[in-house]
Amino acid sequence: MIECLCMVQAGQISADAEAALRDETNAFSERAFSAPAVMNWIVVPERSGYTAARPSTSVIVSMQSNRKLSQSERVTLLKELCDIWMKGANRSMEEVVATIRDPEG
Amino acid sequence: MPLYICNTKKGAIDDAAKPKIASDITDIHCEVTGAPPTFVHVFFFEEAPQPPLSNKTAIVFGTIRGGRTDDQKAQMVDRMRNAVHTHANIPLDDVVALTTDTPASWVMEGGDILPEPGEEAAWLAAHQAKIDAANAD
Repeated sequence: MIECLCMVQAGQISADAEAALRDETNAFSERAFSAPAVMNWIVVPERSGYTAARPSTSVIVSMQSNRKLSQSERVTLLKELCDIWMKGANRSMEEVVATIRDPEG
Repeated sequence: MPLYICNTKKGAIDDAAKPKIASDITDIHCEVTGAPPTFVHVFFFEEAPQPPLSNKTAIVFGTIRGGRTDDQKAQMVDRMRNAVHTHANIPLDDVVALTTDTPASWVMEGGDILPEPGEEAAWLAAHQAKIDAANAD
């Protein structure tokens, strides 16, 4: 199981888009880590998200790998993850923040 | 990144105070670290399970790029606690602020791996050049 935290702004992602993003992120996890994603989907309430001190349109996706990654592999995976979220959430490149963490310990 | 999560008891911070606190947190982070404001995210929640309130009224939990000094972190959390106290009228003792480090190399924002602390200007210049080149195509 791969922990996956997804933070999105209220009202900016439709139910259909959410369902597709969940599926595609899970498929990414299976490809990258040979394990399904455990999704923690968090919606930032209206008037509660700010980026650069302005109302935020950003999405934040954070996954924890089940193995230590080389940096070149991490970059490749992060690019793929960002692409999934840019397309699925209809965000620009500047609006997607993605993290892939190594396992703890 | 950084991402600051402000979790509070229900109703502790009204909608009018949120942009003021977000602005202060952004300014504080940028003044202390030299990071550009475009990197700074501030999200507010009420009674979220994480980060736990632990009998406090408000907690500001920042996930920041690794490499900041202990003095920088201490300055930031002290000033951020005061910002919440001032704008939300919450007693200072009921506000907690803390940070945790994440390696910059683990984070992609704007399609690029984030710079190490101190390398932001070169990163922003290269990033903007990439955007300009893409727009010119």
